[in-house]
Amino acid sequence: MKLIKSLVPAVLVTASSYASAHFLVVHTPEMLVERSTDFEMSIVFTHAFAGGPTMEMGEIEDFYAMQTKLGADEMTRIELSEYLTEVQWHAGDETRTAYTAVIPRATMRSLGDYQVVVNPEPYYEAEEDIYIQQITKVILNVGGAPTNWDQTLGLATEIRPLNKPYANWEDGVFRGIVLSSGEPVPFAEIEVEYLNYQPDFENLRFDEDAELEAPTPAHEYVSLRTDANGTFSIGLPEEGWWGIAALGVGPVTEHNGKELSQDAVLWVQAKESD
Amino acid sequence: MRFVFTIAALLLSMPILAHSPLFDCYDNGDGTATCEGAFSDGSAAVGVGIRIELASGRILMQGEMDDASSYSFEMPDEEYSVYFEAGEGHEIVLFGDDIY
Repeated sequence: MKLIKSLVPAVLVTASSYASAHFLVVHTPEMLVERSTDFEMSIVFTHAFAGGPTMEMGEIEDFYAMQTKLGADEMTRIELSEYLTEVQWHAGDETRTAYTAVIPRATMRSLGDYQVVVNPEPYYEAEEDIYIQQITKVILNVGGAPTNWDQTLGLATEIRPLNKPYANWEDGVFRGIVLSSGEPVPFAEIEVEYLNYQPDFENLRFDEDAELEAPTPAHEYVSLRTDANGTFSIGLPEEGWWGIAALGVGPVTEHNGKELSQDAVLWVQAKESD
Repeated sequence: MRFVFTIAALLLSMPILAHSPLFDCYDNGDGTATCEGAFSDGSAAVGVGIRIELASGRILMQGEMDDASSYSFEMPDEEYSVYFEAGEGHEIVLFGDDIY
């Protein structure tokens, strides 16, 4: 009985970490490519560190990239929805609706930044009886020429990076500002998770082997808050992809008569030295 | 006077030397290729020289990057290279076979 009692808190901690640590994974092998290529993207709503549970996705309302061409002052919107494919992503013995996309080289081949935005329809989280909508940015770069990574896109909510998200060293520091309707959000709740299981684009599953082992379930995500100016700083202690989610910061707070957590998500990649 | 001139030349060259040149070309699929150049701080390479040179050493074309920091040309049938002339020690060469 003593053993069972001691197990209960662990189970509760694990369950609560699953409930709050959702991440819309929008992944391609490298954020920065030296020469343009077809970008193979996996879009999966899951728990990034634990590699699951993976959630069923609904429609993707917007999927596009904002490009600033060399020598240009304004951004150009590149629609990407036509490249989406709905897939069944393996999650244990079951599958969940997710998406992949192969963005042809010709679509994003010019030197510079491409701020890719994925805006999914709200997901109903029965466990918490709320909807979650994670408006997610991944900033890709071709050739190493920075053109717009530090610009805001006017999203309902977004994380404005203060470091290039695609050119970080392992053990470096990453900073950003959480914005809602274009305004900084003071003391916003942020969760940071390491993408611990690599997405397998070909086989529609996450790799079986984890990159890291968390000392306790509480270490699966790092919690912090923005400061009074809406800014935050995080460390990047491991090579790979790091997800940053600002929770419930968006201006829309209700969906279908229930609470909506409209989150801003930004992915960051750190590389180790060769 | 010569000292002052040397300092001025060094200062003038610093903004470019401090940032690496970046360059790539792609095949447009219609017999032409487009090249783009920039610097690692994101600045465009407008006006930077570019030349297309055959394997024999003969210069086939010579020009400058336009306002969009690009340069388009008809791809020759024979072996060639593209040179992005971003300053002494900063020239980038791309072989025609690597343009796709």
